[in-house]
Amino acid sequence: MIVAFFVIVGVFGPYLAPYPARGYQPLYEGEAGTPPSWKHPFGVEESGIDVFSEVIHGTKNDLYVGLAASFLATLLGIIVGAVAGYFRGVASHVLLGITQVFFVIPTLLLILLFARVFQVLVFKGLGLTLIVLILAFFGWSSIGFVVRGETLRVREMEFVQAARSLGASNLRLLFRHIVPNILSPVIVYTTLNIAGFILTEVVVSFLGFGDANTSTWGLILNEGFTYVRAEWWVSLFAGLAVVICVLGFNLVGDGLSDALNPRLRE
Amino acid sequence: MNNKLLEINDLHTFFFTEAGVVKAVNGVSVEAERGRTIGLVGESGSGKTITALSALRVIPRPGRIVSGTIRFDGEDILAKREEEMRKLRGPKMAMVFQDPTTSLNPVYTVGKQLTDIITLHKNLAKSEAKEKASRLLEVVGIPEPKKRLNAYPHELSGGMKQRVAIARALSCEPELLFADEPTTNLDVTIQAQVLDLLRQLQKEFKMTLVMITHDMGIIAYMTERVSVLYAGKVVEVADTATIFNKPRHPYTEALLKAVPSVAQTRKLEVIPGNIPNLIEPPSGCVFHPRCKYMKDICSKEVPPLETVEEGHWVACLRWRELSLESRTG
Repeated sequence: MIVAFFVIVGVFGPYLAPYPARGYQPLYEGEAGTPPSWKHPFGVEESGIDVFSEVIHGTKNDLYVGLAASFLATLLGIIVGAVAGYFRGVASHVLLGITQVFFVIPTLLLILLFARVFQVLVFKGLGLTLIVLILAFFGWSSIGFVVRGETLRVREMEFVQAARSLGASNLRLLFRHIVPNILSPVIVYTTLNIAGFILTEVVVSFLGFGDANTSTWGLILNEGFTYVRAEWWVSLFAGLAVVICVLGFNLVGDGLSDALNPRLRE
Repeated sequence: MNNKLLEINDLHTFFFTEAGVVKAVNGVSVEAERGRTIGLVGESGSGKTITALSALRVIPRPGRIVSGTIRFDGEDILAKREEEMRKLRGPKMAMVFQDPTTSLNPVYTVGKQLTDIITLHKNLAKSEAKEKASRLLEVVGIPEPKKRLNAYPHELSGGMKQRVAIARALSCEPELLFADEPTTNLDVTIQAQVLDLLRQLQKEFKMTLVMITHDMGIIAYMTERVSVLYAGKVVEVADTATIFNKPRHPYTEALLKAVPSVAQTRKLEVIPGNIPNLIEPPSGCVFHPRCKYMKDICSKEVPPLETVEEGHWVACLRWRELSLESRTG
């Protein structure tokens, strides 16, 4: 528990603190491509953008992607997994099959494909939200499996039978009695998913499949990549942000899994 | 008003497992008159609990009611749609389960679990439901009911938890209450308290109480009539006094002898063997492999439920020739 608490403070603190520094404008003042200085702690990028504020804005956007996509994926995973685990019969098998399909398909390729196709053809200007939707759509299956397994276990417990014998309906049993009892592993997976989704988003925008008008770490990495020998600071700080953030969420997930695991609580 | 609140006739509830069809309830008939307490007694696996679950129509899969009739207040339970059943469960009939540590939802407070059931069946405002919940806790003898509403199940002792479970079952004043071994997991001293509570509540709410137990002591203490179940069949039905004084079925006699007694220092008699495999029950009388009065005929003919005297039935081929020992004898 203590570890988890330190991890939470350690991870979120640094990101929350610089937030007031919101002043983001491109600096076309002949400072383009200068190394870190007091004025620009992370240096200035080739086209004159202050890397420090860019990283901060990237933090905001990447966290949005990670949190929103993870939230949606969890929602989807809970619904599909709980229904698949609770009911028996054809529908349950179909849902399990769908979950397995989503689990084995090469997600990244499809994400890149979908991102490009939708970005160009359908939802122009939806930007990050589109990425969020795509990530969630392809990333819910692991949660679906966890929820299904846990639902299978909790479904057989006596309090479910007791609630049923007092007039609770199937949906009520499932979402009011069973789902609240299986949230601890779901929370852990959600946290780990955040890290995974951020990493995927970084890959997507680094490869240039993201929204070119929104600052994200991947985009900075992409821009810095061209001049990485001369202007190392551009890529370095964005990359560091990615590493620390992802590591942080993984540590929180680890901490939570320890904290919520009844076998380790003794 | 129908005087017979619950009438179960020739009920068959089977479980269709991969290993075969488990005949958990294989021809059980039970009647409960309004406002009385009856007992269903038998070893584990004799079909007592499944009989009760069948009446509520909440049999876990892969179980299914195969044949028979169940009437509640004259209405055919098996013909009802699921939505109609849901309205019966709670306000008309309810059940208290064996183990209060698992029959209460661990993630909700006591108050939440009670108000949940109350608001599900009654159109009450949240504050009124809470008020009622606190009154219920008082009724079941929980001190400081207002404070306890905010307690989680794990914060309560076993006896307290079972009181909460009873309060929850009573929250919509059911006419029929099944109590499925409600004291099996409690300390002996707490057991007496909970039994007294159930007895008092049965009178107060004018309920029909069905006690499900394997304990002949509880039967003697609580019930007016008893059905003795063995391997999914009723082997003997009689008034409680008759069961104890003039048992007619060898299984009833064996159950009585297996009860420890303070007054007598006789050796407890164990019923040899186990309850039979319910996928392929023994031929003839289901009890014959363990019966000490067994004759050849017992493995060949199925004993019908015969009338010994008014209100006393027994299913044994040899009941006329046997003179069985009673509890007192």
